Amino acid sequence: MKKSVILLMIVLMTLSFSLSANGQQASDESGPVSIEFWTHEDPNRDAIETRYVEEFMASHPDVTVNRVTHSSKKIFELVLTAFAANAGPDIFNMQIEQAYSYIVNERVAPVDYMAAGYTDAADMQEKYMDGSLDSVMVDGEVYGIPLELNNWAIYLNKRIFADAGLDAEKDYPKTWEEVADISEKLVLRDGEIITRRGFDFRYPYYLISMTPMVEQLGGKLVSEDGKTAIIGDDAWIKFLTYMREWGPNGRNLGSPTYKNARKLFNMDNNDMGMAMSGLYQGARIRNDNKEFFDSGDWMIIPYPTFENAVNDVACNFYGQYYMVNAQNSDREIKTAWELTGYMMSHDEEYLKAVNIVPPTKKLMSSETFLNMPYSEVFVNDLARAHVVYTSENGAKMEELVKEAVESVMLGGIDPVQAHATLKAKAQELLNEL
Amino acid sequence: MGKTAPTGKIERKLARWGLIFVTPAIVFFSIFSFYPILTAFYTSLFKKNLLSLKKPPFVGLGNYKYLFTSSDFWNSVEATFIFALGTFLPLLVLSLMLAAFIMNVPKARKFFQMAYYTPAVISSVVSAAIWLLIFDPRGLANQWANTIMNTPGIDHRWLAHSVMVRISTMLVYFWKYIGYFVIIFISGLASIPPSMYEAAHIDGASRWDAFWKITFPLLRPTVVLVSIMSMLQCLKTFSTQYLFTQSGAPQAPINVITLNIYNTGIRDFRIGRASAMSIILFALMLFFTWLQFKFSKSDETSY
Repeated sequence: MKKSVILLMIVLMTLSFSLSANGQQASDESGPVSIEFWTHEDPNRDAIETRYVEEFMASHPDVTVNRVTHSSKKIFELVLTAFAANAGPDIFNMQIEQAYSYIVNERVAPVDYMAAGYTDAADMQEKYMDGSLDSVMVDGEVYGIPLELNNWAIYLNKRIFADAGLDAEKDYPKTWEEVADISEKLVLRDGEIITRRGFDFRYPYYLISMTPMVEQLGGKLVSEDGKTAIIGDDAWIKFLTYMREWGPNGRNLGSPTYKNARKLFNMDNNDMGMAMSGLYQGARIRNDNKEFFDSGDWMIIPYPTFENAVNDVACNFYGQYYMVNAQNSDREIKTAWELTGYMMSHDEEYLKAVNIVPPTKKLMSSETFLNMPYSEVFVNDLARAHVVYTSENGAKMEELVKEAVESVMLGGIDPVQAHATLKAKAQELLNEL
Repeated sequence: MGKTAPTGKIERKLARWGLIFVTPAIVFFSIFSFYPILTAFYTSLFKKNLLSLKKPPFVGLGNYKYLFTSSDFWNSVEATFIFALGTFLPLLVLSLMLAAFIMNVPKARKFFQMAYYTPAVISSVVSAAIWLLIFDPRGLANQWANTIMNTPGIDHRWLAHSVMVRISTMLVYFWKYIGYFVIIFISGLASIPPSMYEAAHIDGASRWDAFWKITFPLLRPTVVLVSIMSMLQCLKTFSTQYLFTQSGAPQAPINVITLNIYNTGIRDFRIGRASAMSIILFALMLFFTWLQFKFSKSDETSY
């Protein structure tokens, strides 16, 4: 009895190994190739990418591509759990702060330059904006093709400015102090409850939108050598003091618990004077509220600086990168890069149809880009910006900054104490790496 | 001897059938509960990164040692117990009171059962999303509170203040699960023979006396069941806290152990440390369940 069971198990295991080996071999050399492609939802992008995929399959009859979209909030978890089970998609895109861990843990393959339409890494770098590939480069190899590169500026509702007796074209805020003072003029309250905000921050994105404020004051998140956290005590304390004054325990101009500022801005319901977002927000305003989009009642202004800033730094930029699963056969990896390269060769259509900016030099110097409303604001800000902090511990670091900001804004903690706590925890985090 | 042999045979036969019937449940439990628990314990002994393909270094009890000296973990333990106590006790007491009330209004019993049970069938994510709208500074919670307390324009900071955000999560959980436990209590109440009440009534007992002398003692197994279930539910709470923190609420006051496990494992990729946390939570739940059984057995009542 026992012998027969053992024999059966050996037969089954041998059979399964030989089947999987055969499958791998078939996929390596010839026969059909199946590509699983996961990306986040974006109706405008769906239309063009579905077409690219169909075109690619038509020109590659042995390739089947399954393009699957997931909610942008969920895709991170889904891709992670799939990779943890060694069943990750062949192609996926992710924000660089999250994607970086896939590179350092060798879960994604370097770009197959020839397949993707470049001669080598140098050729690829030559075709993209300076710095836009830095965060996906390790040991001279590029690990992702940028789908989009974003930096944020401030969208402003001229009508709300006029309602408060201000001329948006002249009176728009240039410094963070002015942002607070003008917000005070724009804000409407029912008792303590804000019914119209002048401006509010993008709270979940502390590393993108708030650490540049610290850098303006001479501080830094992490030292150049990556060994010391929370550089420049005075800068951090000044920044945290500013945030305390912004919140309900200070001047009561905004709070993380109010509704997402940029979504309210699109609706133009007299409840949001200014909101921070990227160039893509234009297309979202057009989709959500075409009348407001066409009205000319909005404009975009540069990322402000503090009055006594020692560094001229704009909002950090970040990117969404297409990446390819390294746990595949060479042929599958090559095909995946070929498809990615084919899609991204349509950079101008991505800009026109989706309002996202694949950061190629050709596109960013094109008439299409330069003629987009306020594109110069983003280009100028980009020139004084750098990429967001990327590290294996990036998400945890963001949580620590969030905790510090929330503790002063909502918890009534003194900025000096919040800074000390942040510094200790962030240093412990760095030491763990 | 001749008489006992057939009885033993029948018992063995019955036992065999019993074993056959419980086998699927044992197999299911082994695959989906027992195996993951063992795997989690094994993983907790390694410094394992969720994404890494490299062999994780063995750290023994290192993850446990780290957690027991981590202020972040102790904050999670505190947040979990504050939430569990603040939710479990009111849930237990009020669901019993509501069940007793519903049993005394036979005409409207079905309506009340449905009304109280409805939130239990709504997914936790949806209920948290509904309550997020209510707790918005411009939402219904401030409007109701200000109308009742005659405090116009006051922002009670349901999601922004460290104490209020705790109360808010308790309210959501209480609203969601009260109906579920009311239904269990109603079944318990319905199983008490009416003859007991009739006898008490003839003996001149008031309703109040009947509740404390008959209902409550005979309902003890149901109370134990509900208290264990509700306590375990409270210790496992996750989705409300997760959604609230995603919507801007401060994390520290509601960073319950499950949320910490999620963030450590999924966001920070430290699956070894997250596994250690889940084993500690499992041990806590096991201990409190044992404790409740121990106390409940000391004073059993039967009829």
